[in-house]
Amino acid sequence: MFFKQIFRNGRKNIKNNGLFFGSLVAAVVAFYTLLSMGEQDVMRFLRTMESDAVQKLMMLIPAIYVVSLFFVFFLVYFACAYQLDGRRRELGMYLMLGMKRSRMFGMLMGETVFNSVIALVIGLPVSLILTECVSLATARGIGMGIIGHKFSLSLTAILWTVAGFLAVQLIAMFLLSIRFVRQEPAALLKSDVSETQKLPKTGKVGVAIAVAGMVMLAAAYILSIQQMGIFSYIVLIPVLILGIWGTFWLYKGMGALIGRRIMKKTMSRSGLYTFTGRQIQENVLHQYKVLAVASLLLLLAIACVSYGIGVAFGRGAESGHSADFTITDTDQDVAEELLSGDSAWMIKDCYAMRLGHMDIDSHTYNAEGMYKAISGQPQSDIRDNILENIQGRIDYFIAESSYNRLLASLGKEPLDLGENRAAMYTSMSGSDFQSILAGALKDGASIEIDGKTYELLPELYTDNVVADRQITLYNAYIVADEVYDSLVTDPEEIFAYNLSLSDALVEESGLMQAILEMGQVLDNCGLHYESYLAGIGRNLFYTVAGSYITIYLGVLFLIIANTVISLKYLIWQRKNHGRYMTLLMLGARKSELARSAVRQMYTFFTLVLSVTAVSGVFAVWCLFTNFTRLPANASMVHVLSAAAVAFAAFVVIECIYMGVIRRATGRAIGALDITDRR
Amino acid sequence: MNMMNHREQKAPADSGRVLEVKNITKTYGVGDNETKALKGITFDVLKGEFLGIMGPSGSGKTTLLNTIATMIRPTSGKVLLERQELGRFKDRELADYRGKKIGYLFQDFELLDNMTAKENILLPLSLHGITGKAAADPLETLARQLDIEDVLNKFPSQMSGGQKQRVAAARSLIGNPSILLADEPTGALDTKNSRTLMDQLSKINQTMGITIMMVTHDASAASYCSRILFIQDGQLFHELRRNVESEPREVFYERIITVLTQLGGGSAHVL
Repeated sequence: MFFKQIFRNGRKNIKNNGLFFGSLVAAVVAFYTLLSMGEQDVMRFLRTMESDAVQKLMMLIPAIYVVSLFFVFFLVYFACAYQLDGRRRELGMYLMLGMKRSRMFGMLMGETVFNSVIALVIGLPVSLILTECVSLATARGIGMGIIGHKFSLSLTAILWTVAGFLAVQLIAMFLLSIRFVRQEPAALLKSDVSETQKLPKTGKVGVAIAVAGMVMLAAAYILSIQQMGIFSYIVLIPVLILGIWGTFWLYKGMGALIGRRIMKKTMSRSGLYTFTGRQIQENVLHQYKVLAVASLLLLLAIACVSYGIGVAFGRGAESGHSADFTITDTDQDVAEELLSGDSAWMIKDCYAMRLGHMDIDSHTYNAEGMYKAISGQPQSDIRDNILENIQGRIDYFIAESSYNRLLASLGKEPLDLGENRAAMYTSMSGSDFQSILAGALKDGASIEIDGKTYELLPELYTDNVVADRQITLYNAYIVADEVYDSLVTDPEEIFAYNLSLSDALVEESGLMQAILEMGQVLDNCGLHYESYLAGIGRNLFYTVAGSYITIYLGVLFLIIANTVISLKYLIWQRKNHGRYMTLLMLGARKSELARSAVRQMYTFFTLVLSVTAVSGVFAVWCLFTNFTRLPANASMVHVLSAAAVAFAAFVVIECIYMGVIRRATGRAIGALDITDRR
Repeated sequence: MNMMNHREQKAPADSGRVLEVKNITKTYGVGDNETKALKGITFDVLKGEFLGIMGPSGSGKTTLLNTIATMIRPTSGKVLLERQELGRFKDRELADYRGKKIGYLFQDFELLDNMTAKENILLPLSLHGITGKAAADPLETLARQLDIEDVLNKFPSQMSGGQKQRVAAARSLIGNPSILLADEPTGALDTKNSRTLMDQLSKINQTMGITIMMVTHDASAASYCSRILFIQDGQLFHELRRNVESEPREVFYERIITVLTQLGGGSAHVL
């Protein structure tokens, strides 16, 4: 009988509470998505390239899992509170009919287990489909579709998901059940909101609190934009305190502002204007903490997703793909050997990269012209650092013909230096660093070797001279081959061979597979080499580690914030049953009530979203000016498209939540029957 | 539109029929579970009348009131208010009927506790698009008559039970209804507040000619009425009339008690 009742109640819960079950399923998906990260195509691929780094990232996952447990707990807690609140009368009746509190507690916990099993049965397949989609999309998006998609089912992830979800649900339900079971039957039977009515503060105190909140928020915005250039806790902590406190106070005092507006309009507005206004005011007065927390969570979500996109593009833009392989065995004519072998068809180009150091014993070098040009750039720490480094540094030289081969393989225009000109090269990343050098070159810079002045071309060259990391050059000068031969210690010495794969091979097998195949050929020849793959691996690792996790957390915060607002709103609406009945008796039509309820819901959401939007603008502004910066060569079209997609997804999620509430409210009002009154 | 002027033009002595209840029955359940709450009740209410409905618990008096208030549809029979049959009303007409034609005074006030007294009182008017001076004038008059001017800007939680019920009374009267239906209006009040409320309702009935139909258990409250219908087991059992001008309330009260004693100790209660 007892178990039958649990089963029956559980089934009824599923039927009646779409949002409740949706939240539980979201919690399962959140856990599995995080825990199965190691099984994603990208991570499997990365493990072969950057196993240490991936290992470190995987060690970080448990910490994020614990953070997720903490946040998902609130999601589940509110979902369960909503579901239990709808059953107050039923629970009150059980007590009145003589059910022991311990038995009721047991029944509720039993139902929790039943609900958990159902949520897991639905949530795990959904998670699998979702992670597979994410895995495929990430792989395709990064352009390595060919590494081979493998269906992944992580048993460890499933186990931890089940454990985490059950723990969170049982703890949430345990706390809630205790709260409900302890109540007197009369308190449970009377579910109307009037008993808990608080007196709305419409006085000056409330307005003062709201104004103080706005001032604090404004101070936080200004401080974050002006002072955060240099990251410091002395600035960060006040910004956080002012921002959080300001948000809470703004919502705390908002009820008073709404009240004043209603008072002014009562006599002049018809219909349910006053009622709707008072409902919103009451909701704000009672739920201001929820509004503030939801707004801050949404802000966090925006910041996380923006940061994720920024990181993805920041890293993504660095992957200048200049050669597929760099072969370091230079004691034989590798190019000739490969181009004449069986695998020649696989190679588009193979050339020697002539890169060497100046013979300082026979030549004199003066970078005064360059130094002056850099000095003319706006003052910054990076500029001073460059100035310090450039003075007295003996630079590398690159032969023009080698670099032109590289440019040609990239489809770029070759250089034409002649005897009196040189071009500047750097493989250092960092948009600030590069923009200072580019600025100096544009203003006109020169170097002097053996008393002869070489004008530097106004462009900075950054296409990597090797496939990966064989050499990182702070700066080097590309000079005509004759000049190169006269300057470097050993002109015959070849630094490395660069190899580009044939378009036919790449087209046939995809870049990744092509690189792997060529790698085997090179292995068979006993050659030492570096491939572009390692570069991608490292690059991807940062992209994945940085963007995947922050976007994951962002989405998690977004879902939690929306669920919390929605459930709180629905719980509160449910308690207004009596008011709607009174309004029907006073001659209101159901359509009017439905309009009022929808207006209340939109206003409730707008109150959260508007504050979030303003704070979000400043947060993103601060983020991209102080914490992370998009590289100068990052495609704005791509960045804006990603931002637009993220924004559209955000809007869609908000619309889904509002749609769900709208339907639930509409159903509740449609079901009102004046004949039920007594 | 100045509603109070309109109201004051009504003659209390007008003997036209405001409400006609014709042989209404109400049956709950089917088959063996069938319960007849009303077994064919017929009566009229005249304009300006203060009618009381009394009877023991379960006699059907609240069912009768709720049928007139359109909260319940009768199983058979007709209810006509100002010659219009309520059974024919659709959604919009029903809403208009509830908001304009009748005023309903609840036992537990049913004030919206997140709205001030003024906002509560004005609700029926704003629901029907009446705002500004057209709303302010009747509000002012009713607030004066019901002595609630001091609480107009207060929320229900800041008012006493008596004040709440007088605010509720103002709300039910502000739309200038054809009839005020009151369901145990003194049920949640103490003796002093009950008397104040009944004095004011009686005054409103006499000076403004508002027709009132009140269900009550309380003989003292019923003694303010000009006619009382006693119901037992879903049927009219007895009727008492009082000449308000010549018969003191105390005497009428004694007569009510006598009927109630008969009702309680009548043959119907011998098992």
